[in-house]
Amino acid sequence: MKKYLKVLNSFTFKVITIMNNTLRTRLLTILFIFGLGVYALLPSIRYQLLSDEQKNNLSKDEVAYFDSKSIKQGLDLKGGIYIVLEVDLPQLINSLAKNKDRKFDVFLDELSNEYRNSSADFFTAFEQKALENDLKLPRYFISYGKTKEQIVEQLNIQSNDSINRIIEIIQNRVDQFGVSEPTIQKQGNNRVVVELAGIQDSERARELLQSTALLELMIVKDIDSTNTIVRQIDNLTTTSSKKNDEIDQLFNSDTESNNLGFSSLLIAVGSDLAISSDNLPALKNILNQDNVKQVLEATGSLFLTGNSTETLINDFGEEEEVYLLYHLVDNAELTGGVIEDAQMRLSQSGVTAGQATVQVEMNNEGSREWARITGVNINKRIAIVLDKKVHMAPVIRSQIFGGATVIEGMDSIQEAEDIAIVLRAGALPVPVAIVDQRVVGPSLGADSVSAGTSSIMIGLLLIIIFIVFYYRASGLIASFSLLWTLILLLGVLALLEATLTLPGIAALILTVGMSVDANVIIFERIKEELRNGKSVRSAIDAGYERAITTIVDANLTTGIAAAVLYQYGSGPIKGFATVLFWGIIVSMFTAIIVTRFLFDFITSRKNIEKLSI
Amino acid sequence: MKFIENTKINFMAFKNVGFTLSGVMGIGSIIMLLFGINLGIDFKGGTTIGLNFNEPVNIEDVRKAMSSVESDGQIFDLSGEEIKHFGSTDDIMIKVKVRDNVSPDFAQHIVNHVYETMNDNVPQDKNNFILSLDTVSPKVGTELSGSALWSILSALALILLYISIRFEFKFAIGAILALVHDIIITLGIFSFTGFEVTLSTVAAFLTIVGYSLNDTIVILDRIRENMKSSGTVLLESTINKSINQSLSRTLITSLTTLLVITVLLMYGGATIRPFAFTLLVGVVIGTYSSIYVASTFLTTLYKSN
Repeated sequence: MKKYLKVLNSFTFKVITIMNNTLRTRLLTILFIFGLGVYALLPSIRYQLLSDEQKNNLSKDEVAYFDSKSIKQGLDLKGGIYIVLEVDLPQLINSLAKNKDRKFDVFLDELSNEYRNSSADFFTAFEQKALENDLKLPRYFISYGKTKEQIVEQLNIQSNDSINRIIEIIQNRVDQFGVSEPTIQKQGNNRVVVELAGIQDSERARELLQSTALLELMIVKDIDSTNTIVRQIDNLTTTSSKKNDEIDQLFNSDTESNNLGFSSLLIAVGSDLAISSDNLPALKNILNQDNVKQVLEATGSLFLTGNSTETLINDFGEEEEVYLLYHLVDNAELTGGVIEDAQMRLSQSGVTAGQATVQVEMNNEGSREWARITGVNINKRIAIVLDKKVHMAPVIRSQIFGGATVIEGMDSIQEAEDIAIVLRAGALPVPVAIVDQRVVGPSLGADSVSAGTSSIMIGLLLIIIFIVFYYRASGLIASFSLLWTLILLLGVLALLEATLTLPGIAALILTVGMSVDANVIIFERIKEELRNGKSVRSAIDAGYERAITTIVDANLTTGIAAAVLYQYGSGPIKGFATVLFWGIIVSMFTAIIVTRFLFDFITSRKNIEKLSI
Repeated sequence: MKFIENTKINFMAFKNVGFTLSGVMGIGSIIMLLFGINLGIDFKGGTTIGLNFNEPVNIEDVRKAMSSVESDGQIFDLSGEEIKHFGSTDDIMIKVKVRDNVSPDFAQHIVNHVYETMNDNVPQDKNNFILSLDTVSPKVGTELSGSALWSILSALALILLYISIRFEFKFAIGAILALVHDIIITLGIFSFTGFEVTLSTVAAFLTIVGYSLNDTIVILDRIRENMKSSGTVLLESTINKSINQSLSRTLITSLTTLLVITVLLMYGGATIRPFAFTLLVGVVIGTYSSIYVASTFLTTLYKSN
C-alpha cells in the first residue's frame, strides 16, 4: 500500500514539476502529444473521407492498413454476428469411455443435466457425480490412468486438446468462408467466442460453426432385417403403450391414437420407409425408449432420417411433407477423416443435372478402403451420412477406385458450398452448443453511429456555449482543452487498436460532459483565491495547486470503477470501460497541463490585472 | 457570471429533511425492486428480436403472426410474448422467454415466419428486416448476473479501500453509503419506469458509481481541508462551509453532464435510451446525495464517537 501511495505522490509531484518547467519545454511536450494524437487519427479520418466506391476498390494491403490503423467499430455498430459456443464436455467424456453400461449412462445423463444448467467447474461436477453414483472410474477410463486423480488429469488434458482443435477447425472454416477480420477466442476452459462482421444470416453462420461435419459412410440394412426390427419395435411400443392406454382411458380416451405402434408412423415410399414431418417428435420418443435402444443395439443397427423433406401425396390425396427413414448398420465403413478435398460442383448429367453437389476426394488410404468397401458390397446401398442425417443412399453398382465420391441432395448452391467448406476444414471432435448469440443488422448499427455522432457534436456545442457564457475568456481555454480531449481520446483508441462499441460512444459523450469538471474545479478555486484578494498570477498558481489533489482523487476513483468494469465486463461493456478509462487519463492531461500552459503563456506576455473568469 | 457565489446556505439545518427524503425514497425503491425488476435476457436467458418494417406496423398484427410459429416440426403459440414498438412505429421489439428443447435456430425461425406472414410490409432484403437478434441461454444469463453483481461489489470494495487510505475510514463509510443510496434509488426509479435491465444498464450503474463518487470526493476533500484548521469541534458549520464553497462547482458540473445526457436521451436512439435515462436519474440523485447523504452521515459518525 505504501508503495502505491509513493507512486501516487510521485505522480502528483511529476504533474507539478511539468507545470513548473519553462514554457518552451512545456509547449514542445504538448505539441508533441497533440501531434501524436493527430497522427494516430489520420488513417481513421482518411478512411472516413473515402467514398463508398473507393472503399470497395481498396487493395488487400490498403484494407489491412486501414484495419490495423483506424478505430475499429464493434459488431453493434457495423452489424454482424457474435456467437459463444460451448463444448459438449459430457459428450467428450462419453466418447472417451470404454465398457459403457447402464450405470454409466445414468451417470452421464445426470452429468449432462448438471452441465446444461449450472456454471460449476465441469471436472469438479464430474468427480462429484462419479462419487454420488458410486462409479468406478478406472473401469471405464483404464487407458487414462489407474486412479481417479490420474484419470481426471488426463481427461482434463484431453478436453483442452479438443477445445484447441475445435478453435483450429472453426478458424479454418471461417477463413474459407471469407469474413473480414473474424475474431475467434477461447473463453474460460469450455467456450469459444466467434465474432463475424458483416454477416446477418444467423442460420447459415450457425450451420457453418456448429455443424460437427462428421461424414460417415454406412451400409443400408436390407429390407428383410428392417421388417424384422420394425415388428420387434412394434411389439415393444404397443405393449408398453397398452399399459398407458388403460390409464389414459380413465382420463382421456383421445390419447389412444397417439400411442399406436412404431409401424403406424411409417409410410412406405417405394422400397424406402418415410415418416411425416409432424410425427418426427413421436419417432424420437420411440427411438429414445430404453427397450427400443436395446433391440437396436443387439442388432447393431440404427435409424436415421434424411436431411430434408420430400413432398408426397398421401392416401387422402393431400400433399404431405415427409422425411425418408433409413435403417443402417451402426458402424461407419469410412469417416470424413480420409477427405482430402471437397468442392461444390453442379451436376452435369442425369436427372440431377444442374443441381448443386459436393464432390469429395479421398486420400490414398481412404481410396483403398473405399475400393474395398464398394467391392464387397456390390448391389447393396450405402448411405452418405453427414452429421447423423442421410444425404443420399445410392446402390453400389460396381467397385469404385480412386476415392472420388459425389454427395447429392443439397438444397442450394450455398448449402453445397458451406458443406464443402466444413468437410475440407475437418470434423469437430466434440459437438458444440450455442449458448449466447447476438446478431446486429447493418441498419441498426448505422443508425447508432449517426445518432452517436450527432449526440457528441450537439453535446459538445452546448457545453462550449455554456462554458464560454459562464467563464468568458477562461471558458474559451476550457473549450479548447475539451476539443483536444476528444481528439486525443480518439487518437489513443486508434493507437490501442481498441474497438468502439455503442456503449463506447456513450462513454465518449460522457467523457465530454465530465471532463469539463476538472476545469470547473480549477476555475472555481481561482475565483475563490481572487475573491480573497490575491493577484491574478498567484491566484492561478494557488488555484491549480489546490485543485490538483481533488482532481486526482476524484478521477482515480472513477478510474477504479472503469478498471473493474473492464475486468468483469463482456464484449460491449469492455468497450465502454476502455473509453471511460482513457477518457479520464486524457482529460486530466488536457484540463490540467494544457490549460495551465495557456494561462501561464498569456500571463507571461501581458501583465493581466483582471482575469476574465 | 456569478449566480452562485459566496452562498451561505445552512445545509445541515435541513439534514432531517434530507434523511427523511432519502429514507422514503430508499424504502420506496426497495419495495419497487421487490415487486419485480424487469430483467433483460442478458440475465435470465431468452430471445429478443428487433424487426424493421417498411411502414408503421400494428402490434396486434405481429401478435397474430406470432400465434403459430413453426420450428423443426413443432408449432409454437408465441402471441403471449412481449411485443412492442422500438424507437419508431416502423420497428418492433419482440422478447421471447426461454423454452426447453427448441432448435438453436428458434429465433431465426420466428423471424422467417413473421417475414413470410407479413410479406406485404417488409424490406426486400431479409437482412434489412432484422435489426437485431439476441439469444442467451439461461446458464449464460446466470453467469452474467453473477459477474455484474460481482463487478459492482468489487468496485465498491476497492473504492472503500482507496478512500480509507487517502482520507479516513469514516469518510469512506460516508462515501459508500452515498453510493449505495444512489444505486438503490436509481434502481428503484428504473424499475418503476419498466425499462429493462441489460448489460448496458450495469455499465450505466458503474458510471453512476464513478460520477457520484467524484462529486462526493470533491466535497469530502473540502471538508478535510477545512477540518485541518477547525478540527472536528464545529463539524456542522465546517461541513456547511465546505458544501457552500464547492456548491458552484457541484452544480456547474452536474449541469454540463446533464446537458450531454439529455442530448443522448433525445438523439441517442432507442438502444441508448434506457442507458441515458439511468445516467440522468443517477446524476440527479448523485448530486443530491453528495451534498446530503455523505456529509450528514459524517456528522452522525463523528458525533457517535
